[in-house]
Amino acid sequence: METIFKIAIVGSGPAGLSAAARAAELGLPHILLEAEAHLSNTIYRYQKGKFVMAEPSVLPLRSPISFAAGRREQILETWNIEARGHRINHRLHAEVTAISGGRWAFSLTLADGEVIAAEHVVLAIGLQGNIRKLGCPGDDAEFVQYQLDDPDAYQNEQIVVVGAGDAAIENALALSGHNQVTIINRRGEFDRAKGANNAAILKAIETGGVRCIYNAEVAAVEQTPRANPPGVLALNTATGEAHVPCHRIIGRLGATPPRKFVESCGVHFPSADPTSLPAVSATYESNVPGLYIIGALAGFPLIKQAMNQGYEVVEFIEGHDVAPADEPLLRQKFRTLPGFRDVNAALQLIQQRVPVLAPLTLLQLREFMLDSEIRTPAPGEVIFERNDYTDSFYSIVDGDAEVEFELEGQPRTVKLGAGEFFGEMSLISGRRRSATVRAGHGCVLVETPRRAMNKLIHSVAAVKRVVDEAFLRRAIESGIAPDVPHEALAELAATANLLSFKAGDVLFKEGDASDGVYLIRRGSATISRTMAGREVVLAYVTAGQSVGEMSLMSDTPRSATVRAAVALEAIRLAPAPFRGLLVRYPAVRGRMHEQFRQRVAQNIDAQRQSERGGIIGFLMAQGVGEATDVLLIDESLCVRCDQCEKACTDTHGGVSRLDREAGPTYQNLHVPTSCRHCEHPHCMKDCPPDAIRRSPGGEVYITDACIGCGNCERNCPYGVIHMGVETKSQPSLWRWLVFGGREPGTEGPKVHKDVAKKAAKCDMCKGLPGGPACVRACPTGAALRVSPESLLRATRKA
Amino acid sequence: MRQPLPIANPAFKRHESFLVHQRFLYLKVSLALCAAALFAYFYDDPAGARSGNSLTGYSLGVLSALLILQLAWMGIRKRRYRSRLGTVRGWASAHVYLGLSLALIAGLHCAFQFGWNVHSLAYILLLLVIASGVYGTVVYGGTPAQITANRGLLTREAMIIELEQLNEQSLRVADAVNPEVHRRLLHSISHAHIGGGLRTQVFGPEAARFEEEAVSTVQFMASQIAGMEHAAQKAEQARGLMDLLAQRQDLAERINRDIRLHARMQVWLYLHVPLTCALLAAVIAHITSVFLYR
Repeated sequence: METIFKIAIVGSGPAGLSAAARAAELGLPHILLEAEAHLSNTIYRYQKGKFVMAEPSVLPLRSPISFAAGRREQILETWNIEARGHRINHRLHAEVTAISGGRWAFSLTLADGEVIAAEHVVLAIGLQGNIRKLGCPGDDAEFVQYQLDDPDAYQNEQIVVVGAGDAAIENALALSGHNQVTIINRRGEFDRAKGANNAAILKAIETGGVRCIYNAEVAAVEQTPRANPPGVLALNTATGEAHVPCHRIIGRLGATPPRKFVESCGVHFPSADPTSLPAVSATYESNVPGLYIIGALAGFPLIKQAMNQGYEVVEFIEGHDVAPADEPLLRQKFRTLPGFRDVNAALQLIQQRVPVLAPLTLLQLREFMLDSEIRTPAPGEVIFERNDYTDSFYSIVDGDAEVEFELEGQPRTVKLGAGEFFGEMSLISGRRRSATVRAGHGCVLVETPRRAMNKLIHSVAAVKRVVDEAFLRRAIESGIAPDVPHEALAELAATANLLSFKAGDVLFKEGDASDGVYLIRRGSATISRTMAGREVVLAYVTAGQSVGEMSLMSDTPRSATVRAAVALEAIRLAPAPFRGLLVRYPAVRGRMHEQFRQRVAQNIDAQRQSERGGIIGFLMAQGVGEATDVLLIDESLCVRCDQCEKACTDTHGGVSRLDREAGPTYQNLHVPTSCRHCEHPHCMKDCPPDAIRRSPGGEVYITDACIGCGNCERNCPYGVIHMGVETKSQPSLWRWLVFGGREPGTEGPKVHKDVAKKAAKCDMCKGLPGGPACVRACPTGAALRVSPESLLRATRKA
Repeated sequence: MRQPLPIANPAFKRHESFLVHQRFLYLKVSLALCAAALFAYFYDDPAGARSGNSLTGYSLGVLSALLILQLAWMGIRKRRYRSRLGTVRGWASAHVYLGLSLALIAGLHCAFQFGWNVHSLAYILLLLVIASGVYGTVVYGGTPAQITANRGLLTREAMIIELEQLNEQSLRVADAVNPEVHRRLLHSISHAHIGGGLRTQVFGPEAARFEEEAVSTVQFMASQIAGMEHAAQKAEQARGLMDLLAQRQDLAERINRDIRLHARMQVWLYLHVPLTCALLAAVIAHITSVFLYR
């Protein structure tokens, strides 16, 4: 008779392993299925010797499998030993290709055709996906590998790299120093790769460092054991079959994202956004009854969280009611909530009071509250100040708050009551606060950091809609029509479109007919005009500003081209309702007229100084359009003394965040490799412990919570984050003067290999009174830090 | 002086050369000090001749010693990266103008009386330090823009990598042309040097030799091509090689010019700093002897 397992667990990462161990501990019939040849593939694929952290440190671990911060090898070995110790019933090389059925009667089909029956399924496959194999006969031969740990481990070999992405190119280039490398590209170009990699591989191919076969499909891997080299890769190329003898084949074809597979199991994703994750209930159950999702796929990327969920999910399946591991943390958090009794009641109260949080599942709300803080400010207390760079989001649970802002020099106040929220402007635009907010009477707030809020916006469509609508209404009110009653704006708001543009995309072109006014809500754009056959940049506009009202008001074609300088989001207001508004409200018309007049004057001024346009164009091409503060060097003053780098090294534990020489130069303006403190920092995108923060002054910095994973280093498009080890000791100036040794401003001694590297980036010396050390140390006045806005916005008076 | 960056914007006005720092604040301070010293010097008419022994002489001596200390402290301040005592730019500005004024003030202090003694040695050292400083200020003014212009869009490292690649590439092509060309090119590459000792960095004779080598290789190639009239493909390859060699020669010149410009901008410090140490020693000797043997 066929065995029916009580629980089938797919994926043997921290979550799956922990679930299987708990099931084994309880004596439940279970099976753990792993597609790869070893347990815990994601951690297995970490670089050799990588130090793995155990964040968040406040969260207790609740799993039969132990886990503490340590080296990759150490952790994998412990887990393998404990998996054996718990007699986990696991099967390797068991890739699940389909899951069908429902509670009590699931069928899991494996890649080899075998079908496994189970009452419950726990999906713990993470987000890495399955590595794409060559997909031809022989693609599991011994000399075929899908990972490269250490390129220097291979010498004098003939190596074939298959793939045309960044990983393939980087491997091919790294190996080409000591080996004969052939790269196989399925297409005719390397345009999927980053610009720098594309250029590097083309150069290597041109100079003969790497051989490339374009338009080639892999046909078969043949083993030729007696020959040297021991393998041959057969290819179908445009000109017929080709055979490449080789010692080693490295496949870098990426991974199949798990979404398709998960959807094929019947699980819904809330939005088409690639970062969106399936919603699960408080017991981790998905919309398919009996199918549970835990770990990174459910939105919990940290190892400890995932392991706790593995334990809990088995308890839930067994019908035990376990309080989640975060219960004590939430209780602690809610203590300040007036009239607090227990966690569940408090969660319910918040959900009732704050409509924007109503669509959340209980689990999402718990996670959300774990990241958020309850605040009970005294009446009159400032929540945030206008022009601060903070970016958290506030929901009002009780009482009220006053929003103070300025309009045409006049102070204004708006009152917000329970259930409303504020702070979405800076959250979306990435810019300074546009108003000051003070607490009213009996004010109780939930303060949510940017990351938790963004995660929610991306995973719950209803939350996104509510926040977007509020943003639109408030943007129109504060920027265009403050004196117009809500109802009169309804038509305008109803016909507004939210549009997204990639860097370089055109919002509208010179000579086009007007299709409305664009209110930029995120990113920045350049305004340019064709003069003497050349596109000349006239101005730079940022989030919060509008463009396109000129041609709408004068009823003429567009007088200039507006192009996104970085990824940009704009709200387009349709022409007809906008014109209607202008007719009915003279104050709005007056305001628009004034803006029109200023812009014309500004454009004329900009055309006079055409050289300035060249500089704006250059800076925009360097991504300065998304910067809030950028280090520039005037090379006509720079004596190349590297005082700036030394100052950075000295004030940051012997690790410089700045590379003066690297980076592009235009005329004498040099943009060194140094952090620009982006409006929407790319480095923040994927930081597991949420260690990258923005301070009220605008500095983007890394806290001690950094686990050294290197994601930020990879995500930064400007290459300004490095992994390093800071030293505590500071060299003495007098000792160096008298006895020699380490000079202040030089790099610290090379530290022992066992010390974990952490990410290091510019924090604008926010801990130092007196400002950035790089600028203060420049002897000639060549270095300066400026916000692109103050640098590039034409002076209105001129 | 230098052209300011063409950005008509108040934010950029904060950005100014150390020489114009705070609207020439330290130039004004120095001029005021000089004027005060001149006034004191001519106003005071001691019995006998003016000398360092008078009250004015002592006062100007004390002022000079304090200025020397302040100027020498620059070496400390610029390495105190956390210091909030002004900015290094302000210090550099003061360093230039106060340093220049010292030539006059110290001269007035001794009433321009010189002899073969430690006192005059101190003054001569002072003038040497100032002279090297003036040279430094001049090269700081002109060289940076020359470096930028010479480099184009490349860093030095990138230029060297490109040169190596051109070498490899031309060797590969040379191999296809004929063994004689290959041998000749290999010789040329192995004899090419970049940089060198301090003297060669500053004056660049190595560079000249490299360029000579490159020119003779190009001439050799030209004669080779002339002899290839009947082998069209070979001649084509040889012409390609000529292009590579020309690029290589140009790049090598640029690298050497870059090294030379950098060296010129730094070499004066190797005089300025040791001379300052010698000056401090001489000043201590001068003061000690004045108080012991007067």
